[in-house]
Amino acid sequence: MESSTSSEFDHLFKLLLIGDSGVGKSSLLLSFTCDNFEDLSPTIGVDFKVKFVTLGGKKLKLAIWDTAGQERFRTLTSSYYRGAQGIIMVYDVTRRDTFTNLSDIWAKEIDLYSTNQDCIKMLVGNKVDKDSDRVVSKKEGIDFAREYGCLFIECSAKTRVNVEQCFEELVLKILDTPSLLADAGAKKNIFKQKAPEADESASGCC
Amino acid sequence: MPTSSILTPTQRYAAGALFGLALHEAQAHQTSPLGQGSNEARSSSSSDSVSDDPLLWVNASSSLLRPIFKFLEINEAAWTGLEETAAATPAKHHVGAYMRLLAEESEEASATMEDMELGLSKGVDAMAASMETTHDDYESSKEKQRDYANEYREKYLKPETKSQPEVDIVTKQIEQVISKDLPESDDEHTKSSKGVEEKPLEEVRMLEYPRKVTVLYELLSACLANAPEDDKKSTKQRKGYDARHRVALRLLSTWFDVKWIKVEAIETMVASSAMALLKEEEAKENDPSSKGKWDKWKRGGIIGAAALTGGTLMAITGGLAAPAIAAGFGALAPTLGTIIPVIGASGFAAVATAAGSVAGSVAVAASFGAAGAGLTGSKMARRIGDVKEFEFKPVGENHNQGRLAVEILISGFVFEEEDFKRPWEGQNDNMERYALQWESDNLIAVSTAIQDWLTSRLAMELMKRGAMMTVLSSIMTALAWPAALLALTDFIDSKWSIAVDRSDKSGIILAEVLLKGLQGQRPVTLVGFSLGARVIFKCLEVLAESEHGAGLVERVILLGAPISIKDMNWEAARKVVAGRFVNAYSTNDWMLGVAFRASLLTHGLAGIQPVDVPGIQNVDVASIIEGHSSYLWTTQQILEQLELETSYPVFNHLTKS
Repeated sequence: MESSTSSEFDHLFKLLLIGDSGVGKSSLLLSFTCDNFEDLSPTIGVDFKVKFVTLGGKKLKLAIWDTAGQERFRTLTSSYYRGAQGIIMVYDVTRRDTFTNLSDIWAKEIDLYSTNQDCIKMLVGNKVDKDSDRVVSKKEGIDFAREYGCLFIECSAKTRVNVEQCFEELVLKILDTPSLLADAGAKKNIFKQKAPEADESASGCC
Repeated sequence: MPTSSILTPTQRYAAGALFGLALHEAQAHQTSPLGQGSNEARSSSSSDSVSDDPLLWVNASSSLLRPIFKFLEINEAAWTGLEETAAATPAKHHVGAYMRLLAEESEEASATMEDMELGLSKGVDAMAASMETTHDDYESSKEKQRDYANEYREKYLKPETKSQPEVDIVTKQIEQVISKDLPESDDEHTKSSKGVEEKPLEEVRMLEYPRKVTVLYELLSACLANAPEDDKKSTKQRKGYDARHRVALRLLSTWFDVKWIKVEAIETMVASSAMALLKEEEAKENDPSSKGKWDKWKRGGIIGAAALTGGTLMAITGGLAAPAIAAGFGALAPTLGTIIPVIGASGFAAVATAAGSVAGSVAVAASFGAAGAGLTGSKMARRIGDVKEFEFKPVGENHNQGRLAVEILISGFVFEEEDFKRPWEGQNDNMERYALQWESDNLIAVSTAIQDWLTSRLAMELMKRGAMMTVLSSIMTALAWPAALLALTDFIDSKWSIAVDRSDKSGIILAEVLLKGLQGQRPVTLVGFSLGARVIFKCLEVLAESEHGAGLVERVILLGAPISIKDMNWEAARKVVAGRFVNAYSTNDWMLGVAFRASLLTHGLAGIQPVDVPGIQNVDVASIIEGHSSYLWTTQQILEQLELETSYPVFNHLTKS
């Protein structure tokens, strides 16, 4: 089955979820991949989920990396930016500090570590189900997104409002960006002797 | 419950992650020893899923990584993330981050933990030092080796090298042709990529030495514990110290910049601690007051059959008799005595407790327990065909010392029985070493026949005219052999073909011995020259076909191997060797050419030219080897220069020192 997986999808996208601890990154991912919502303990290090979707007439494999928001794991997170086509910045609409940290910390991290110049960024305000506790207005979110040049959506992992749309919008935008599609198709595996060794640069000894 | 681990949960997470990275990197080294060309190829596969690829060592089905995570009590939710991380991207992008995590995360660490780390590292240092001092006699053994070499040189080499002047010229020509034949220059690769790989990471310096030792200690314990797995998916269930784990640890110690001998010290300590623990348990068992507890454990069903049959104590050193263990343990006691109060028996028990009550520690013992009679007892494990002799002889002084690595040394060109052991006696490493004595009648017969032929008048005459070198030229040109040479070799032929046949059969037996775990489920390093190398290769072929063949053999060194290159499945053989695979060849070993004959030479011969298979390190030893019989006394020197304890190939051309 390994060799046939490459034909089962047209593109493979790496997406990354970042943001402060407790904003609901893992819940968002769980809601998207498993239609599920439950109380989760803080993520340790990094988590990883795969979801197949068909969007814009293309079969896509999404590899979504969910990073820990806690300060002590921050050095770890930086190494995951590499090669990501899409980065989702999540904040909690009921906690202002998670919003201000986006510009103070997370946006800077992206600039520092992201290797894809054209990688698509998306701002997500989570927990809109708790409307009474809301402290960050939608307007503020839109303004930040405009200033930083990223997509914006508000959603709730709990009620699943806008969860699908969030990922869909991001993926469609990636599909619209030719430079991101360039290396997202081919699957290579170093342990499959035949195919990858055919690289003309490989001299044969290694 | 006592403190289960010296490390905090986050540190254990990072340790598990680093081990995963090392494990995957070690697998990558199988086909690309220095990681060249890996960057592009691997980054593009960066988002693919490990779970799709059961061939990966880090895939759950290989049962290499998850038991470690379990032992380290890493939250199950984080496992897939760790596995993906291990396989997804070039390790160098993550190693630094995890090391930083390991170094920084200390607010939870109490002073006692730091004390324990320090105590442990001091203990390891002491153990390493004591292992080094046991090599005091090294010089004297080296002296002996030198005498032996000189004596043998006198006796056997003369005829082979008489025609030296002409030989030199032809050799050079052949070397040129060979180098044209093989476009790549290993040398350049070695140089260029070494700089990249061995660049010390900034984070390594942040990491304090005691912490590094502690991490290695816990990881090793985890590797040995292999707690009974409830994972139904895993197909490759085997207990013991997996060679792939050892290779990963070796790589990790390189990343940590910790000397390998320290890890060997840790290995010995863990083995001895587990032994001490088992003795304690046994004492408790005899003591009626604590019998209830023991019964409870038994009822828990976590103790393997080995424990119930009382085999636990003898289990740990891989089937050596219990008194021998006690003696070995006694020898270590001066060092261990200072350690055990801190981390020894109780520490290990605590770690074991972490792995789900005593299951861990008992499994350590049980994992070596299936060994039964052990290697020395496997005299003629099974009679295959016509193999009449197949026997392991202990070499060196590392037996019964709780060593967790085994080395099997196989001579293949011998004039007397002593030659099975003597070439290996001067060697100096920390493995438990065994020489394989096999088919001595046939081997002595063929070696002597070849030697006699060499001293015959006609051979001398031919040599003077440089005819021998036409043997080697035929590798390239497939020229007809001189008729005289053909006629002459006839009488060697029959003996040689018998010996080749026996070496293949002995290889099958060796594979069976390893598959049965008679080496005590410990990683094995196989070294052999001449027909001995053929035994090893055959053994690897059998292992490659077997379901459980992976993870037994750690390293392989073939010297002057009479194995054809084109007809053999070198790739398959490479895959069952977890660590380095070295083919030492000599371009002027025409005697091997004579014996092996032209028909096979046209397909290439591993003993006289490089094997162009990814992941096999080809080492030209032409400048050390004067003739095929030289392997008898130069093997030790070659092995020393190969620097087997490093993770990466070091030299591809050896020079006479």
